Amino acid sequence: MRRPLAKMPPFIRANDITLVFKSKNRDPVTALNNLSFEIERGEFVSIVGPSGCGKSTFLNMLLGLVRPDSGHMQMNGTPIKGPGQERAMVFQEFGLLPWRTVTANVELGLELKGVAAAQRTQRAMELIKLVGLNGFERHYPHELSGGMKQRVGLARALATEPEVLLMDEPFAALDAQTRDLMQAELLQIWERTKKTVLFVTHSIEEAAYLSDRVIVMTARPGRTKQIIDINLPRPRDYEMRLTPEFNEIKSRIWEVLKEELIPGSRR
Amino acid sequence: MNAKDYYTEHRRLVLGVFSVIFLVAAWELLLTYVFPVNPFFFTKPSLIAEAFKEQVQGAKLWHDLAISSRAFLWGFSFAVIVGIPLGLVMGWRRRVEYALDPFLTAMYASPLVALAPLLIIVFGVGVLGKAALVFLLSVFPFVFNVFAGVKSTDALLINVIRSFGGTDKDLYFKVILPSTMPYLIAGARLAIGRGLVGIIVGEFYAASEGIGFAISQAGDTYRLPDMFVGIIILSVIAVVLTEAMRRLELTVAPWRAGEEVR
Repeated sequence: MRRPLAKMPPFIRANDITLVFKSKNRDPVTALNNLSFEIERGEFVSIVGPSGCGKSTFLNMLLGLVRPDSGHMQMNGTPIKGPGQERAMVFQEFGLLPWRTVTANVELGLELKGVAAAQRTQRAMELIKLVGLNGFERHYPHELSGGMKQRVGLARALATEPEVLLMDEPFAALDAQTRDLMQAELLQIWERTKKTVLFVTHSIEEAAYLSDRVIVMTARPGRTKQIIDINLPRPRDYEMRLTPEFNEIKSRIWEVLKEELIPGSRR
Repeated sequence: MNAKDYYTEHRRLVLGVFSVIFLVAAWELLLTYVFPVNPFFFTKPSLIAEAFKEQVQGAKLWHDLAISSRAFLWGFSFAVIVGIPLGLVMGWRRRVEYALDPFLTAMYASPLVALAPLLIIVFGVGVLGKAALVFLLSVFPFVFNVFAGVKSTDALLINVIRSFGGTDKDLYFKVILPSTMPYLIAGARLAIGRGLVGIIVGEFYAASEGIGFAISQAGDTYRLPDMFVGIIILSVIAVVLTEAMRRLELTVAPWRAGEEVR
């Protein structure tokens, strides 16, 4: 009998990831326990979960800065063993080098990969334009607002042309209006660049608005509790957030998350 | 612009200049009219100005300055060359920190000028002995400030470099060194003050030339105006050097403008 053709492996796959924090004078803490999921190329996936459930740690694992104690992470069929060009992170606190101008900050990743100066600058200019920071090329981070700083962070991550964008609560440090604006722009950029995005957030609204799928994690030790598909049409705009369909999805996510947030309500 | 507007705009400068003029005038008038003490025991600005004019025209002052500067520069340069790498390694390698910390802390806290006699015996009365004292006094601010700078390097920035596949060398040159820069300059400012103390103590203790020797000799022979000339020249040098460091800090670390590092 002929076996069916081997299924294409998923783009990103996390399988049974476990991570235990061990420290002196304290009992070991299991941060992640048997966390598994798969992500397809080009998807926008958000991860929500209670504080301390290990979502950010997991993102650092995908980035290659933290190694799991057990389990496998693969991307494109190859195991993730350390940082790599195909993954880039946008950090919550921006992580800009204060002694570098906007341009030099955007160039950082390219510089560390040994790209020639002229090419770097050209690429940086394109991205500065993409995130709408033209005219601020020579400014220093301390001269920028929070929203502008995160645009630099986004441009820097995109500059190395990663296939996956890892975003660790990137808009959490911004005020509400700036956040709305940045979400809309992120969607536009995502639709234009077709990156795969893994987005960690505390905000159900943000997760529902941006994502194709939302992964809800359990309280510590974190694992996948439920994956919710967001079948809302794209392109999405701010008005969509006022529709009953959107609110229905939000309350579905909330129902799942609530059990993890409020002790004793877990079934 | 009338005088009042000028005042509101430059209040700091105007008040500063006025207070200096006031102090000098008060000193002069007090010693001329209220307590006309014997110039043998105390002096006044007009006599100091006269002595200053005389010394500036002579050759001895310039010779003394050259002698002292040479010892200062040697000692200070070595403090830079030794202190910065030591601070960097201490900040980055915990084992080095733990091994050197007790020793360095004790040395930093002690009045090291007490070692002046020993250093003069070991290194002699010339440039070397004084340079050694300057080195010993000014190396610690470099070590400790660079150490503190490395320690306060933002862990997030280290992660950023690592996430782009940066090497240890990248970490040093692209994050640790630049973020330590303001600390380094603050350290240099402290080191200048301590180094000047070193030069003067060295020359007070054993020397036959140099600005410290000139001050001490003028004192011994009751030439108070000449003594004050030396003191004033020293404080002008200290102010100029320290101010230069402050300017340098604003150039190297513009993002810290407004944050005062001491």
